[in-house]
Order: sequence, then C-alpha cells, then structure tokens
Amino acid sequence: MSSRAGARLLGLLPAAAAALMLVVLAVPLLALVLSTPPGDLVAGLRHPLALSALRLSLLTTTTSLALTLLLGTPLAWWMARHPGPAERVAATIVQLPIVVPPAVSGLALLLAFGRRGLLGPALEQAGWALPFTTAAVVLAELFVSAPFYIQSAAATFRRLDEDLLWAARSLGAGPARRFVRVVLPLSRPGIVTGAALSWARALGEFGATLMFAGNLQGRTQTLPLAIYSALETDLRPAKALSILLVAVALAVLGILGRGTVLEAVRARA
Amino acid sequence: MLELDLEVVRDGFALEVQLSLGPGPTALVGPNGAGKSTLLRAILGAVPVRRGRIVLDGHVLLDTDRGISVPTEERRVAWVPQEYALFPHLTVQENVAFGVPGPAGHARADALIGQLGLEALRSRRPGALSGGERQKVALARALATEPRALLLDEPLAALDADTREATRTLLAESLHRLAIPSMVVTHEMRDVLALQGSVVLLEGGRVRSTGTLDLFRAAPPSEFARSLVTRAIGSV
Repeated sequence: MSSRAGARLLGLLPAAAAALMLVVLAVPLLALVLSTPPGDLVAGLRHPLALSALRLSLLTTTTSLALTLLLGTPLAWWMARHPGPAERVAATIVQLPIVVPPAVSGLALLLAFGRRGLLGPALEQAGWALPFTTAAVVLAELFVSAPFYIQSAAATFRRLDEDLLWAARSLGAGPARRFVRVVLPLSRPGIVTGAALSWARALGEFGATLMFAGNLQGRTQTLPLAIYSALETDLRPAKALSILLVAVALAVLGILGRGTVLEAVRARA
Repeated sequence: MLELDLEVVRDGFALEVQLSLGPGPTALVGPNGAGKSTLLRAILGAVPVRRGRIVLDGHVLLDTDRGISVPTEERRVAWVPQEYALFPHLTVQENVAFGVPGPAGHARADALIGQLGLEALRSRRPGALSGGERQKVALARALATEPRALLLDEPLAALDADTREATRTLLAESLHRLAIPSMVVTHEMRDVLALQGSVVLLEGGRVRSTGTLDLFRAAPPSEFARSLVTRAIGSV
C-alpha cells in the first residue's frame, strides 16, 4: 500500500468512528421498532399489565412533578438569590441524585424511610408505612427527578436581570406580584425545560423504585417495572410499552427543542 | 422635599452624602465612579446603607438609628435605570400600567401614553421600540405610580444624537411640571443646561458642591466641573 493510500485511509478513520457510534446508538431502538408489528403493539398495549402500569405511571409522575414544582421552585429561587457556602452545600445535595446510581438511591431511600430506617419508626407511629406503597414510588421518582428541575430553574433564575426586579419593586410590586408578573414569565423556558427533563426522568425511573417500592402490579409497578416483568412472560407488552416510552421521549425532545436540551445539559454541568 | 444623610460602604468604596432636594429637577454630575448610581440605588433601597436617614415629604423612608427601613415597594420613589429595565415580555401599555393595577390605574396609564405620544406603540413590546421610545415608556411607567420622588440614571445616554435633543426638552419640561424632587444623573452639560435646576457635583463619594446652575457655570467648583462646562461651550 502506498503511503498516500494509507494516509487517505487514516483520514477516513474519524468518519468511520462517527458512523460506528451512530450505529451503536440507533440499532437497539431500530430493533425495538422492527420487531414489533402493529398487531403486537395493539395487543401489547391492551395487556392488563400494560394498562395498570400506564395508569400508575401517569398518576405517580404527575404527583412527583407537582411536588417537584411546588417544593423545588422555592429551593431553586433561594439557591439563585443567595450564593454562598450554604447555597453550595445545597447545590451539591441537589446534584448528587443525578450522579448517584439508582440502586444506591433505592438503598438510601430504604435506609431513610424503610421500616427500620432513619425515619421509619417515626413514620410508622404516625401511621405511615412508606415502603412498597404507591407513595414510595412517588418519593423515589421525586428523589431522582427533582434535581433536574431545580438545576434548570435555578440557572434561569440566576440569569434574570436584577434591575427588572428593582424596577418592579420601585413600581410598588410586592414579592408575590414580582414573582408572578416578572420572574415566572421571564423564566418560563428554563422552567418548562426543567419540568420536562424531570418528568421524563421520573417516567423512566427503575432501580430506586424497584428497591424502595417493589414491583407490585397496580400498586408500585410503573412502566419500566412492567417492561422488566413482562420479559419473563409475554414479550408483547414489554415491546409495546417500550415503544410507547420511546415515543414519549421523542415528544419530550420536541418540547425542549434542540437548543434548550443543550442549554439544560450545560446548566446541569 | 427629599432629605438625605447617607453613608454607604460597598466593595471598599465609601459614599457619604448630605443633601436636601426641593421640588423640580436636580442634575447629579461627577466623574465615573463618583457614586452617582450608587446614590440613586441607596435612595431606592437597592443598596444597603450603613448609617443614615432618608426623609421624603416628611415620610421617613430610612433611619438606621431607629431601625426604620421602608421596603422599596412602599417608598414611592420611581427609578429609571440606564437601560430603562422595561419588562421585555409586556407590551408598552402593560409596562406603563404595571405599577397601577385596576381600572383607575389603567386610565392614568392611558393618559400618560397619550401625553407622551405613545398611542401607536401601545401593543408593542420593548424589543420593537427605538431608544427614544423606550425612554418615554420608562418615564411614563415611572410617572403612572404618582411617585413622591423620581430618580433617573443617565436617561439620555442610550439615545442617538437627534433623539437626544428632542427627548431632552421633553424630559426637562415634564420634570418641571411634576414639581416633585427629581434627580437626574448625567455626563452632559447640555442636559444640565436643559434641566434648568440645581446642580449637585459628586466626587469620590462626597458632595463637592451643590447650588444653582448659574453658580456652577460661573465658578466651576472643581477641575471636573470646569472641563464639563468648557466641553459644553466647545460643542455648542
């Protein structure tokens, strides 16, 4: 082989690597779609396992998203407005569930809220037994997904022009009016992005839920857990639900738009 | 009447000001870093004051000795910062009416929009306005709340030369008509001349001089003041 041909081959290497990467990413999803004829999809979605999981996932992710917005927004606001040591500690606490493996999150949740966990006895006395209940699913989803929202919202709040808030104050607007009329509308893109990412993460939550809430059909068996269970019996609901989740993921990407996905990832980094 | 006795320490910079402003415009001049914007923000309540008192028309807005600090939203001090800080997501009409909710407020906002010739722009957003138009909207928004004092931070600096000429006259007239203490930060002797009010010279965080425009021109109290006066003569 001449050295020129060798150099040309070498020049193609990056393109080949890029193509290979894309193939690795695309083939599994392609296989999923190709192996599921429309008949299987319909039958799979009608399967009792699928229906109850779908219902449960919608219920739990809606609840965890509502809790995320309700509790996470004030936290994000506080983090954005009070930079300093306390905020850095809070930021680390918020980041950890994003990087910690879900199995570790599940164990941690058990050790905190389990019957013999840190808060378990106190909760039990109050008549609350969390593990292996639907509430445990919500808590697991909240734990793993809220950080995505909090980070995105805090990043947006930090970018707000301080002078706009002072102008609003000088015009007589108190905290609630400032937040509703100025902060929220100007932060909407970051809030929507964060909420969509967080919801998608909650919908896909598997490991922590399995460990902390178990896999009980109708009570704690969400879509990912149903897919896992169906593998052992009937593959059709597993494939149908998987395709459904891929479609939902595509829809979330559509909501976010390409630019905002990148922005959200940067805000997280 | 706006009475100030303030001591602000911020990032190693100390501002110490005693001033008494009557109704009508006062030009606040001084070199960069003299503390002009900081003074406005201190009156607004946007900058912590280490020690001092602010009394506006007999209302104590701040008295550190007595532990009084009225929140910004209750001071009735209107503020127009350099870039105007218009709400980008609201229309001209919504911006002007922001501080005056309710039908009566909207009527006042509409009246101001008319007075300043902004009718055609009512439903536009600030992003679609020229510099001069934005300046008018900011002024209308500030005036709609019927403030007891008005603080304008270089209100003409962001405008191109032609717009500046026209706006300057309009601004001076409005401020005289208002008859409330108004403080206008500027770097231009032309603005000072047009305002036809008293002149406060701030240097290094202290009031170097305060007095009438005529006195300021006849006997510029510092090197900076002299250059301000001569620069204006040269440019006319």
